[in-house]
Amino acid sequence: MATGENEPLISTAVTSRETERSARADETILEARGLDVHYGEDRALREVTAEIPERKVTAIIGPSGCGKSTFLRSINRMNDQIEVCRVEGDLLFRGKNVYDDDVDPVALRRKIGQVFQKPNPFPKSIRDNVTYGLRVQGKSATDDDVERALRGAALWSEVEGKLDSSGLDLSGGQQQRLCIARAIAPDPEVVLMDEPTSALDPVAASKIEDLIAELAREYTVVIVTHNMQQAARISDETMVFLTGGELVEFDDTATIFENPANQAVEDYITGKFG
Amino acid sequence: MSRFEYRAQLRALREELLAMSDLVCEALQRALEAFEARDAEIASLVVEGDREINERYLAIERRCIELIARQQPVAGEMRVVVATFKISTDLERVGDLATNLATYAIQGERHAYPEVDAGTIGRHALAMVREAVAAYATEDAEACYAVADRDEALDRLCEAANGIVVHDLLADRGPDDSVETLLADVSRLFLTIRDLERVGDHAVNLAARTLYMAEGNDDLLA
Repeated sequence: MATGENEPLISTAVTSRETERSARADETILEARGLDVHYGEDRALREVTAEIPERKVTAIIGPSGCGKSTFLRSINRMNDQIEVCRVEGDLLFRGKNVYDDDVDPVALRRKIGQVFQKPNPFPKSIRDNVTYGLRVQGKSATDDDVERALRGAALWSEVEGKLDSSGLDLSGGQQQRLCIARAIAPDPEVVLMDEPTSALDPVAASKIEDLIAELAREYTVVIVTHNMQQAARISDETMVFLTGGELVEFDDTATIFENPANQAVEDYITGKFG
Repeated sequence: MSRFEYRAQLRALREELLAMSDLVCEALQRALEAFEARDAEIASLVVEGDREINERYLAIERRCIELIARQQPVAGEMRVVVATFKISTDLERVGDLATNLATYAIQGERHAYPEVDAGTIGRHALAMVREAVAAYATEDAEACYAVADRDEALDRLCEAANGIVVHDLLADRGPDDSVETLLADVSRLFLTIRDLERVGDHAVNLAARTLYMAEGNDDLLA
């Protein structure tokens, strides 16, 4: 594991990580240890223990209500906004428990960005959408920053020359890539995606899938998907949650889809269960 | 296609492979009979029957392609499709080798090397194919290993038979044998032994793919 206590989760500083990245390939970046999440009386996650590797695509699959989105949201504390939500156990980001009292959730979310199911650009210009995260940090965003994020989201060639037009004028697939550009502009380490292609047509979805593979060269991607073929196509590792918020199997994606160890997982991915 | 129909197609795929294997084993058995009895009629049945084996093979291939394209099978179901696809290729090759054997049976004028017991070698190879097919039908991992183990004995039989032929080739065959006749006899027998050895290799492939299908175990694929 990496640095732990010294990570700037409690400040707004963003470190230059290029050298760290090259040194940390294949290391664990996120680790759940006995993670329990309750919504009131309901137990949504049950003692989840898992290590998510850095700069890989980790897919989370499972039937509706199995806890996969809850797990995703617990990584960057999006569950904090739900009043009845109670978290027990540890969720470590580079060795530091993100639920420690001294962690600033806003700073955490700059390091662990998120893309949602439906494209949700702000009703602002393309440029303003991309620079939003940096401006929130009180930083000025240069044209280079905007171009870098839009190139990173495979959108630059389609919007170059019209950065001041509204983000809402883009197609659904372009809007989702704009949201990805917005998520990566503050240079996060992890990008969480909650069914990012489910609202898109197959061609737009395919572009996002290609983009996810590209993103994993720079970022750790954790993606919730209902589409098992998508998980099989794009991820390196797959977590399977089944009912009751239990992580039933977590292995490299080829193993999950070729020869899963757990019969319930086999039944789920072959459509006999769920 | 509903999930129910999809599963019915997977079952049908396996049944088609077993039906194809029946034809292949029958062809090999007949080829051995033709070889031992030098029976041109039985040999021609084998040669003619190869067309149906090829058609069955193509039908299985088409069904596998459709299942992959339309159903994207995963896990155990994917292993059934992939293993069946590969096994059908091995069975088709065994059918071709049975045709070769039948063809050799009616070539030449005589049994040039009665001391070479091609029948025993052939029955050993045929038994391996049958056992591998039975393992596929019942997904019997132990039987897969047993087939692989039997291949060593087949290889030894083939080696011994080759030794006899080479020994005789080097020895004086007597004034009645022209060089051309000698070479034709020797070549044919070498090819026969080689083909029977290959039948055994294909049987091991069947067992290896079956083991993978049944347990996701690739021990025998190396």
